[in-house]
Amino acid sequence: MKNFYDFKVDNIKGLSAQEKEFRNKELDLFIKNGFPNKREEAWKFTDLNTILSKNFVNITNDYISLKEKKLELIKEFDHNYLFVLDGKLVSNDFKFEDKNKVLIKEYDYKKQISVSNQNSLNLLNNALATGGYCLEISKDYKFNKPLVVYNHFSESIKEQIISYKNSLILNENSELTILNYTNTNSKNNFFVNSFDYLKLKKDSNLKNIFTNKDRCNCYFHNYFKSDLEQNANFDNYILSTGLKFNKIDIEINLNEEHAKSSIFSALSLDSKEHQEIKSSINHNFKNCQSYQKIKNVLNDQSKGVYQGKIFVKQEAQKTDAYQLSKALLLNDNAEFDAKPELEIYADDVKCSHGSTSGSIDLNLIHYLRSRGIPEKEAYQILINGFLSEILEKLPEDNLKKFLIKKIGRQINGY
Amino acid sequence: MKTEDLKNTQEYKYGFSTDVENIRAPKGLNEDTIKFISKIKKEPKWMLEWRLKAFNRLKILKEPDWQKPKYPKINYQDLYYYSAPKSVSEKPKSLDEIDPKILETYKKLGIPLDEQKKLNGIAVDAVFDSVSVATTFKDELTKKGIIFCSISEAIQKHPDLVKKYLGSVIPLSDHYFATLNSAVFTDGSFVYIPPNTKCPMELSTYFRINASETGQFERTLIIADKGSYVSYLEGCTAPMRDENQLHAANVELVALDDAEIKYSTVQNWYPGDENGVGGIYNFVTKRGACRGKNSKISWTQVETGSAITWKYPSCILQGDNSVGEFYSIAITNNHQKADTGTKMIHLGKNTKSKIISKGISAGKADNMYRGLVEIKNKASNSRNYTQCDSLLMGNKCGAHTIPYIKNNNSTSTIEHEATTTKINEEQLYYCNQRGLDQEEAVSLIVNGFCKDVLQQLPMEFAVEAQKLVAISLEGSVG
Repeated sequence: MKNFYDFKVDNIKGLSAQEKEFRNKELDLFIKNGFPNKREEAWKFTDLNTILSKNFVNITNDYISLKEKKLELIKEFDHNYLFVLDGKLVSNDFKFEDKNKVLIKEYDYKKQISVSNQNSLNLLNNALATGGYCLEISKDYKFNKPLVVYNHFSESIKEQIISYKNSLILNENSELTILNYTNTNSKNNFFVNSFDYLKLKKDSNLKNIFTNKDRCNCYFHNYFKSDLEQNANFDNYILSTGLKFNKIDIEINLNEEHAKSSIFSALSLDSKEHQEIKSSINHNFKNCQSYQKIKNVLNDQSKGVYQGKIFVKQEAQKTDAYQLSKALLLNDNAEFDAKPELEIYADDVKCSHGSTSGSIDLNLIHYLRSRGIPEKEAYQILINGFLSEILEKLPEDNLKKFLIKKIGRQINGY
Repeated sequence: MKTEDLKNTQEYKYGFSTDVENIRAPKGLNEDTIKFISKIKKEPKWMLEWRLKAFNRLKILKEPDWQKPKYPKINYQDLYYYSAPKSVSEKPKSLDEIDPKILETYKKLGIPLDEQKKLNGIAVDAVFDSVSVATTFKDELTKKGIIFCSISEAIQKHPDLVKKYLGSVIPLSDHYFATLNSAVFTDGSFVYIPPNTKCPMELSTYFRINASETGQFERTLIIADKGSYVSYLEGCTAPMRDENQLHAANVELVALDDAEIKYSTVQNWYPGDENGVGGIYNFVTKRGACRGKNSKISWTQVETGSAITWKYPSCILQGDNSVGEFYSIAITNNHQKADTGTKMIHLGKNTKSKIISKGISAGKADNMYRGLVEIKNKASNSRNYTQCDSLLMGNKCGAHTIPYIKNNNSTSTIEHEATTTKINEEQLYYCNQRGLDQEEAVSLIVNGFCKDVLQQLPMEFAVEAQKLVAISLEGSVG
């Protein structure tokens, strides 16, 4: 069979000979494996190779961003922003912050961060990534307002792969809330394969939120690798729906004592959307905590996947790890797959996981209807109730209102 | 592989095990071996053809490598595929003389076999290496129309039943070890319960690996016809040797309309010594099909032995309203590794399944629950409940849980929960305070932890299993 992709390192301009060699090597490794399929444990429920081959004719990496799009800012709440167009950093604005405390520049590909070779998409990212940003927050600096990263994708992208890397460093005792806001309403198909590296130093605190503006016909794979130092706190909120295919792969390494991490997700999917959250939480040191709560509402022919892994090293005593995934299936063509995994080598730990999936309780619908609420509304009330547990946890009032409104729009239909 | 016995083997020497002269097929896995087995079993032609088909399939299959417990490569050409005591026909028919090792184990457990026999009158089929040596209570069962015999006998006497059901749950081409078994299986039990019959006694099989350098490949086939009920027990032991022996069995269960099969296992193969030398590789495929409406299959297992256990007793819930259950205790100590769990595949409407799994890990052992619950599109109003708890004793062992959960039906519900903890120190303290020593206290708490599963065992097994739990964990605390 003819390949449905054609990637060339030569399409990337301005590489040194050494870089070229490295990238070509990574690309060769990728080509040897191809896009992942169900035979890979990390892709057990998703055959990406088949999905892409069905929806693409020939994916290439020769896209050059043509013109800058005008940025429409979110008006609901004050914020700083980064404007990223097709993976390239275009502009930034930190008007609410002390500019000396924030260091922003384009990602430096000369300093490669080693990535595990297990994941063939990371190999591909190593080979093809261009653009991206590098953000560093100074010691003891706490952001006044959240930072919104506007991830724009041009409407002219079609049958392309967009690869980039970002890095974010929070120095000691710094604090930041970041909203990853994907904005594209492109009807064209394209594939985004990104890699983010996050470093949270001692006592730092990061809240990382994912959402998107509109529906679109694109395929996303975002890999987040994070290292946490002592007492660092890392919270993730995944609220992105409306994307044709989205896999968020989060790797959290709790490397020092009292590091804490959490992943919350509230998703309401319909049509043929495919959303996948894969987490691997590595408890590498004693007295760390992790918490995961994933809630999916699935309609139409959508598919939700959750693959969560908690790994506890032998020396990571007194670990407290929790994992819960819940799904509501509203249609027989919808599917929810879960693999909540525990791998534990320390004995003095408290680890548990739970997973449920099922339908809406018809007695509850009956109760609401008997009080004069129309059926459609009754469903919406219950779905809202189901997801609100997660939404309540969102930080910052104005931001929270904005996100809840957005989720409401998803539940009630675009 | 060495055949040199450990010094402990002394105590088994009087046993039946060492005194018996064996007939063996020549070493190696090839067509001649399969023909030899088929010939010595006086099998009809179709059976030989079936075996050869499996063997041809085997040639293109690869040994699986995805499972967590890794093991050194097995040299399949260096094994005996058939080994039988020379004078099978002269063997005494009574249970007492079958295997002193079993007797002795039971003595250690405090239940002499006589007493057990008196308890309920259990019909036993004893499989020694590659052949069935004795089947008890045959006459009584025949009166009811129940067929309980070795599979070799069934192939000759009831070919229609065997032809119809053999390989219908575990197909020839399933996976490497199942296919290997299909090619070279030597004996095992066959049970057929006629319609509307409740089997009056527990049926039981004792498997015993005796000869060295031998793989045991037994095949069990249980068919419960419409409206029937059977409870089947399985026990296994092996002598202590410093070589690893392979045990690759296939067990197929078929439950037709309104039938129920209860299958209980106490697996106590030799686990190897405290340094991880020797022991059995227990790679078993067990699968049941709830083919009829309202049928039920229940698996209960207590896994304490084997160097590596790797098995997933599964239920395919085809019939509407069918029920699958899986209760498991897996205990690993020293260097043992267990990768066990179940598969519940819901195909019919209103199907239910329940999984209770308790894993206990001590010493340097690894204990893993791996399971699949899949509710297919058409299985409306189905339900699954899964609970898997792990207990860790000491900080050199591991406990892992890998559940695969797939729900494709909006009216069906899946619930899964799992916890991993160590023994509660307050509970230990409480027990110590009341005069129990550390080991007694641990045994008490562990038995409490396993209670949900132990309750499912038939009475004869429950007492035994409880003591086995304590013995398996001997020396793991303190």
